[in-house]
Amino acid sequence: MSSTSLSVLADLRRAWQHGDRLYRSLLAAAGLSTIALILGIGVQLWQNSALARHAFGWRFLVTSYWDPALTDTFGALPFILGTLVTSCIALLAAIPLGVGAAIFLAELAPDWISQPLGFLVELLAAVPSVVYGLWGLFVFIPVFVRPTSEVLNRSLGFLPFFQGPVFGPSRLAAGLLLAIMVFPTITAISRDVLRAIPNSQREAALAIGATRWEMIYQVLIPYGTSGLLGAIILGLGRALGETIAVTMVIGNNLDLSASLLHPGYTMASIIANEFTEATFDLYLHALIEIGLILFVMTLVINLVARLLIWRVSRRTTLQVRA
Amino acid sequence: MNHRSIRRQIWRKSINSVMLALCGAAALAVVAPLLLILGYVVREGLPAITPQFFTALPTPVGVPGGGVVNALAGSLMTVGLGLVMAAPVGILAGIYAAMHPDNPFGVLIRFGTDVISGVPSIVMGIFAYTLVVLPQRHFSALSGGVVLAFIMLPTLTRTTEEMIRLVPSSLRDGSLALGAPEWKTTIDVLLPAALNGLVTGIMLAVARAAGEAAPMMFTAFGNPFINLDFTQPVETLPHMIFTYAISPYGDWHGKAWATALVLITLILLLNVAARLLVWWRGRRLGLVR
Amino acid sequence: MQPSMGLRTPPVRSDAESVPSATKMQIENLSIFYRDFRAVSNVSLSIGAQRITAIIGPSGCGKSTLLRALNRMNDLVPGSHAEGQIILDGQPLYARNVDVVDVRRRIGMVFQRPNPFPKSIYDNVAYGPRLYGVRSKSNLDELVEKSLRQAALWDEVRDKLHQSGLSLSGGQQQRLCIARALAVEPEVILMDEPASALDPISTLRIEELMHDLVKDYTIIIVTHNMQQAARVSDFTAMMMIDEHRAGRVIEYNATRIIFTNPTDRRTEDYVTGRFG
Repeated sequence: MSSTSLSVLADLRRAWQHGDRLYRSLLAAAGLSTIALILGIGVQLWQNSALARHAFGWRFLVTSYWDPALTDTFGALPFILGTLVTSCIALLAAIPLGVGAAIFLAELAPDWISQPLGFLVELLAAVPSVVYGLWGLFVFIPVFVRPTSEVLNRSLGFLPFFQGPVFGPSRLAAGLLLAIMVFPTITAISRDVLRAIPNSQREAALAIGATRWEMIYQVLIPYGTSGLLGAIILGLGRALGETIAVTMVIGNNLDLSASLLHPGYTMASIIANEFTEATFDLYLHALIEIGLILFVMTLVINLVARLLIWRVSRRTTLQVRA
Repeated sequence: MNHRSIRRQIWRKSINSVMLALCGAAALAVVAPLLLILGYVVREGLPAITPQFFTALPTPVGVPGGGVVNALAGSLMTVGLGLVMAAPVGILAGIYAAMHPDNPFGVLIRFGTDVISGVPSIVMGIFAYTLVVLPQRHFSALSGGVVLAFIMLPTLTRTTEEMIRLVPSSLRDGSLALGAPEWKTTIDVLLPAALNGLVTGIMLAVARAAGEAAPMMFTAFGNPFINLDFTQPVETLPHMIFTYAISPYGDWHGKAWATALVLITLILLLNVAARLLVWWRGRRLGLVR
Repeated sequence: MQPSMGLRTPPVRSDAESVPSATKMQIENLSIFYRDFRAVSNVSLSIGAQRITAIIGPSGCGKSTLLRALNRMNDLVPGSHAEGQIILDGQPLYARNVDVVDVRRRIGMVFQRPNPFPKSIYDNVAYGPRLYGVRSKSNLDELVEKSLRQAALWDEVRDKLHQSGLSLSGGQQQRLCIARALAVEPEVILMDEPASALDPISTLRIEELMHDLVKDYTIIIVTHNMQQAARVSDFTAMMMIDEHRAGRVIEYNATRIIFTNPTDRRTEDYVTGRFG
């Protein structure tokens, strides 16, 4: 080999190494961007809600007066409560059904049922929120929620939760629709958690003479508790932030009564409805502050959920090693 | 121990049967809404679907006919722009996370990605608003693209990471052992090997972004006409469905169903195609029997 | 055939053959199928009550499959079915109205790798009795202590009953699993290579344990360790794969005879280490 080609190779080598340095820094930058994004959102929300934060301080969280027209006072309590109430209803319905479905898919159904069924559950997650809302408004409410509400009102109307009058859109409608939207999250993750439990545990329980249900309920579920909890909390996170579907079925009313059958309002809905109508800065900042609250809530919930799920996978690997 | 107690045995058996049956019922309850939704969308939306639906502009209230071509164009623009912005970052970040699974930074990326995917899309919308709309002082397709980029990022990162992981390390080692630098290995060996995995990720990300309505409300905003200028507002499919659905006009409700049919068909096709791609690739690699 | 490790060796039970024992389990022409594939073919054995019966043979010959058929754990494998019959104390196990759950209580099982639940030691042992409705604390305490004593684990764990079962060593975990199986008062105990995952000292302790347990229980053990079979069992069944890849019992006799004067040439080859 002549010396010229050797030096050409050496130059090429050097150039390539520079390329690698550039490449590695590109990778790192891309990685950083994910974290930068979270920080960026927090910073922007914080700065752009300054007017409202300075004007109202912590009272913002506990006042229920929302008046952009006359007194320019803003309090976020109705929306925070509305979000929490609808999410709670959603979870109450989604947990038993979601975990039950996960048990069916992971433990009970033969492969030729659980594969397609699992696929359908995942497809449910792909349906856009606005289509849920459309269906919710024109089908779910008149066909299911309204009759159910009237039954509840007639039988349990003495409770403050079920007082009439019964309109169409209501917190109950939003909560139940949210439950349907949250099913796939809870079911899919719970199913994965159950599948990851080693078979030796199942065999141990059955060999003692436990029934199938006893094995599932007394051995598998306690084993996978943190993972299941993580799935549920992730579902909660999804429910908190759901905007369009809820806006379409909740009625968007500042009603503060305790009745589930009345229309209500959530944090996401008020932002969606009034953001483009915020004609002055304080108004806008108040809405952005609500966005900030929502952001922090979902952030914390997601962190907790991911930690829990991570803990389950760690315990399984540790046990295998032992 | 009175294990021979017949009554106890019967009780245990009945509980077993009841609870297992309830689990089956739960599975049905979870899946039923999907079928109901699809059924209604098809039933209510199909009558209004004509070729004209895809080529005409929306007509004013009361005037029959009309279409959603402006929304189709707008969706294409915003999603396309979002993809162009998010794909390089997401794919690179995914490669990094796949290469350094135990590195704290890699773990942080994965964690961060999961956390971002949990941020409500309306909060993303506010973020894009403050970043793009406020300085520009008007709504635009650009801001819509930006918010969709943020929304697509986690999906792209996650899928890329998983797909790169599936590429056997022998392929990568072979290239490096020949003296090829890392970046060349990535371009020539890794990416082609993981190609349909990446395509899958793109399809899933696009499917998710195409359905987002909330953030569009104050970024892309809406436009009754076709607009190909990125600095101007555009209409998008999901936003159009929303506007039609909450209006008080009956014929607009019908148009909402029809638009929903178009949107959901598109999204479901993307999802099914993405899954098929993964399955087919798994078979090729011998991972699935 | 004695282990040369200088450790205390369990006494050889010389009365096993001379004192006749009743038949606890009768296996009649049992064949086990996975879908169309016959994994075990036409096994007929008489299992003596309060005796230790070992099943030996090269790996893959169907020993574990046969064992699992005895307490119908094979039912859990999709596509698995059995032909023939197993009779426990005069009652058939493969019949229409047989309660599988009860079969598994009467025939307990200890697995190759210890698999305690991630619960406390106490709750591991109490799990079975609780299923059967034993609620009172004093009854449970009594049962737990009795089972742990039978499993030779009581003295080591009596002060830490509420610690997690997973905090024990491998050998202790396996004895915990034995205690757990004993707590439901079975009649037969199946052991699927119970000591193969354990160190030699723990292995010997388990073997001593078996000698104590057999006074009250019938034990059937699958093992790939011939010396263990020779040390521990009263009767030995030798299994091998036939030309159709199905497992068969080619010889079944008192352990002493199997290891000193086997009838079948293949048995002799196996126990003298010429193959397998």
